[in-house]
Amino acid sequence: MVHISDGILSTPILVFGWAISIVVMAATIWWSGRRRDLAEEIPKLSVMTAAFFIASLIHIPVGPTSVHFILSGLLGVVLGVLAYPAIFIGVVLQAFLFQHGGVTTIGVNTLIMGISALIAGVIFRAPAGRLRLCEVSTGIVAALAGGVGVLLAALFAALTLIATGRQFFEIAGALVAAHIPIVIIEAVVTGSIITFMLKVKPELIGLGRSQCET
Amino acid sequence: MKRRLIPLLLVLLLLVLSSAGGVSGHRLHIHHQVGAIDIKAYYGGGTPCRDANVTIYDDQGNLYLVGVTDESGEFSFPPKIGLDEYTVIVESTHMVGHRGETTINMSSSSGGASGSSGEEMPLYMRIVAGLGYLLALGGAAAAYSGWKMKKKYEGG
Repeated sequence: MVHISDGILSTPILVFGWAISIVVMAATIWWSGRRRDLAEEIPKLSVMTAAFFIASLIHIPVGPTSVHFILSGLLGVVLGVLAYPAIFIGVVLQAFLFQHGGVTTIGVNTLIMGISALIAGVIFRAPAGRLRLCEVSTGIVAALAGGVGVLLAALFAALTLIATGRQFFEIAGALVAAHIPIVIIEAVVTGSIITFMLKVKPELIGLGRSQCET
Repeated sequence: MKRRLIPLLLVLLLLVLSSAGGVSGHRLHIHHQVGAIDIKAYYGGGTPCRDANVTIYDDQGNLYLVGVTDESGEFSFPPKIGLDEYTVIVESTHMVGHRGETTINMSSSSGGASGSSGEEMPLYMRIVAGLGYLLALGGAAAAYSGWKMKKKYEGG
């Protein structure tokens, strides 16, 4: 439940969210376009966005509330910097089709989940490029990245909600506690998917087979 | 004398009975009570949104009532005579940042009518719609890649 609804945040924060999101999106698309052919990346982006879009419908009741899958970590690991535009498209579809989150908060919500996805991508790619990781250890790093992606999304949402006049630790405590089951499940899911992709088609996650041949 | 008295008594009895009118011994009572407007707040997936703050405004945007949902996410409030439209806002306290809003119009809904916010299209339709957009996006990109490759092939 890191999708903030309409009517909660003040206008300056909403504008800030939109502005930063547009800048980051342009930067990630430019960065990605420099290194790869964007048109070839878009089908993969669409599939991952579809997963992100649908995942929000899977709810788990936790205490007095319920949480749903986010998959920000998985998107960051699989798509790298393109996770940001993917999350933006997903958030737009969720807002208009599921009334999930809000329309004015699309910018802020993309920022919350997008930045955590980018950090998850960095966590995965930093050692994966350098350490010549094999399947099992890559899976573990991916699981870590997947879990951190969700945890950060909950923390960033709490940080944004300070604007409602509440104490950060109060909100962060509640949000993080509620998301612990999701963090664990998504870590396992991300780890499993990456291990599977590594066996079947490592090119999909930007890793060559050679990295495990030592 | 006696012969005259009997018909007279009969006529009197008839008069008394016919002028009695309604029989008050079987009176039918109508007690009326205008029911409350019941709302139920829940998160996607059906978990009740309990202990949430409820704020109700009238059609002029003036505050009408405030309250808190119960354990099953329900809250009831009495309608005000002459007031047809209410805007109900529910803000979650257990999951800060979640808020729902709906407008209840008494004149356009008949007795026992119910409604909810954001339920115009069935869920599966919305899922298909979302996936359709993404499929179109992926397909367009694939088509563009194919066209570019063909052009490259033809050019080279």
